[in-house]
Amino acid sequence: MRQDDVNLDNCLKCSDCNSVCPMLAANPAYAGPKHLGPELERLRREGLPCDNDWVEYCLGCHRCDLACPNQVNVSELIAAAKARHAKPLVRKVRDFWFARPGLLGRILSIAPTLSNALLGAKVAKFGMKQVMQITSKRTFPAYAKPDLTVPQATGAEAEKVVFFPGCAIRFNQPELARSIAALLQRNGFDTTVSPAGCCGIPALANGDLEEARQRARANIESLGRLVAEGKKIVTSCPSCGHMLKAGMAGLVDDDPMMESKARQIGEQTYDLAELLMTRSDQGKLDTAFRQEPVQLAYHAPCHQTSQGIGRPWYHLLRQIPGVRIEDLDAGCCGMSGTFGFKEEKYETSMAVGQRLFDRIREAGPDIVVTECATCRMQIEHGAKVTVVHPAELLLKAYGGQSETPRR
Amino acid sequence: MTIMESNRFDLIVVGAGLAGMTAAATAADRGLRVALVSTGFGMFVFGAGCIADQPLAPSDRPDLVDEAIGFFTEFSRQAGCPFEGTMDRPVHLPTILGSFQTVSLAPFYLWNGTKAERAAVVGIEGLSSFDATFVCERLNADAKHRGQTTTYTPFQITLSHEDGVFPSTLQFANRFDRDARFRQELVDALKPVARSADVIMLPGLLGLRSRQRDIAQLEKSLGCGLCELPTLPPSVPGLRLSNALERHLRQMGVEFLSGFPVSELTFNGRHCDGVVVATPGRPRRLSATSVILASGPFSAGLLGGQPSGFDDNLRPLAQDGAALGDNLYAIGALLSAGRGRAGNQRAILTGYRAGKLAAGQEGRYAAR
Repeated sequence: MRQDDVNLDNCLKCSDCNSVCPMLAANPAYAGPKHLGPELERLRREGLPCDNDWVEYCLGCHRCDLACPNQVNVSELIAAAKARHAKPLVRKVRDFWFARPGLLGRILSIAPTLSNALLGAKVAKFGMKQVMQITSKRTFPAYAKPDLTVPQATGAEAEKVVFFPGCAIRFNQPELARSIAALLQRNGFDTTVSPAGCCGIPALANGDLEEARQRARANIESLGRLVAEGKKIVTSCPSCGHMLKAGMAGLVDDDPMMESKARQIGEQTYDLAELLMTRSDQGKLDTAFRQEPVQLAYHAPCHQTSQGIGRPWYHLLRQIPGVRIEDLDAGCCGMSGTFGFKEEKYETSMAVGQRLFDRIREAGPDIVVTECATCRMQIEHGAKVTVVHPAELLLKAYGGQSETPRR
Repeated sequence: MTIMESNRFDLIVVGAGLAGMTAAATAADRGLRVALVSTGFGMFVFGAGCIADQPLAPSDRPDLVDEAIGFFTEFSRQAGCPFEGTMDRPVHLPTILGSFQTVSLAPFYLWNGTKAERAAVVGIEGLSSFDATFVCERLNADAKHRGQTTTYTPFQITLSHEDGVFPSTLQFANRFDRDARFRQELVDALKPVARSADVIMLPGLLGLRSRQRDIAQLEKSLGCGLCELPTLPPSVPGLRLSNALERHLRQMGVEFLSGFPVSELTFNGRHCDGVVVATPGRPRRLSATSVILASGPFSAGLLGGQPSGFDDNLRPLAQDGAALGDNLYAIGALLSAGRGRAGNQRAILTGYRAGKLAAGQEGRYAAR
């Protein structure tokens, strides 16, 4: 796990980080986490110019941080270098939008039918490729009216929790929020949906540190009050969860008050499955599942692994009678949020995912399950299989109708 | 179906080196629900996992070596990374320093090093820290001195790489895993060498995730045995072994929590009831019936400083001479701190013993 600040001498050059880097595995020319992180950081701290295009290729998967026997914050050092990296104007403009899925979502979901028609049109795809360097090989997720009204639990004993939906649910899959609230309701939680915007991870991934800081400050403001009231924050997107738990405090460390609030929020943030597992541990999980004869394959997203909560979805789903589930354990999918949409990075994104795609083909499941929305996009694109959020399957096993249309 | 508690285990092993993995395998094999908490790859990144017969203290229970090594050999076979050899027959394996290392057991991809009569040592153009001519010069001199008839002949091959990219064994290993064209390129480059040798020795690069069948396939295409020589860190053969053992342990139901240091052991009197793991947001508390510390010589801090010693059941002792915890065991290099070299034999022996000790207590939570 990353230390908040690290003495660079902690890096012993053992190369454990390089040996787990999915980008280095797929792309031998990549400079690798050891070099881009702690090695170049020495020069950067001396003020020497060593800007390097490769910093843009870090997927932010945190596998290097987890592999380090000496807790060097490798990927954070690379993210900081990414923020100072100079790039051509076209990519700057494109990455401005990729860094702001909240703003983009608000605009595109005003008239979702029109937006979707536009985004899907061949001529628009051609234009985006030419003008914005966005690959035409992928399809943008469909946008929807951000209707996040969820069922309310009744009964005095229900524990009040706040659901942090994240941009993918808010603008692309709002019906998933209703499924999740229904799951929580069944298990004694009363859910309200946080109006907070983007978690800030896309900004960080696109080298926009200032925007990431703004998002962090706004979220600390709005979530801080709820946490102070004793409410837990629930995430179902692993990247949002990772940000709230592990990333936010570091973004506001210039302000001790903010930083301390961020830590309190991190302490009270639970992944949805992590929370349901606490119910299961207390013997209070509703296990009135119906038979679901299905072969599942589970992909653990990088930002799920980096939270250190084990594999709660894997263990929840295997409690459903009839479910056979295999943990694919085949590394990063290569999508990394917006990374795979970038024209110049599309090929390498697919090359990273190849190991996972091959593994899925070998496992031959009926359905692949994974929590992360962009992992789902990448797996559907690369392995041509049905991929769903595990919450949908759990709700289905309760006999509830998942509202999410299969895509 | 038994519902298990997500933070409760029969056994928590701290450290994923050879000792920790052996302990986890021993306990999981006996039906315990095991969590393995670790950071980094332990010593796997520095070597290949060879096992040498080293002097043991009576308290190590040398009488159990055969049983422990027998278990480990079977474990490695099931994991798809079998070890060859027996403890009572030491052999000499060549190294990249041109010296011979005396070992009793080694992973299969090193073992051909013991069988060579006409060995070809193959260097790769541009790869630093491996000089086939230097290796052969020294091996030939040493072999002659030992009265061996094996001859070592240097060869140099060229493997493609992108312009400006510095060749490394890690890079070749990644390409070996992912790229059929690279494997073919390797076959084409080695074929001429294979004609004049019975074993080809090359720097360890045959994949981080390759299976026995992949390497066997390569040998078949060449009509010649292969032997890897582990290089400077990261050692590809060591990482391959680590990956194979981890993959198999996962299949045995062991839960991995990799990347997060244990910040504290928690005690209830003289009973260790769990560990605190430094995870993001809030620390994760795991409780267990037994705890095995396999986290290396530098982790004595978790015990509140260097223990006064260890009892016959591998339990670290407090100042008063009693065990720190009736269910807390120390194995591998941590056990050997201040007692000279640890060695992989001792790692496996103590790992196996601690796994069995933990399993001796009744497992209350069924492994699934």
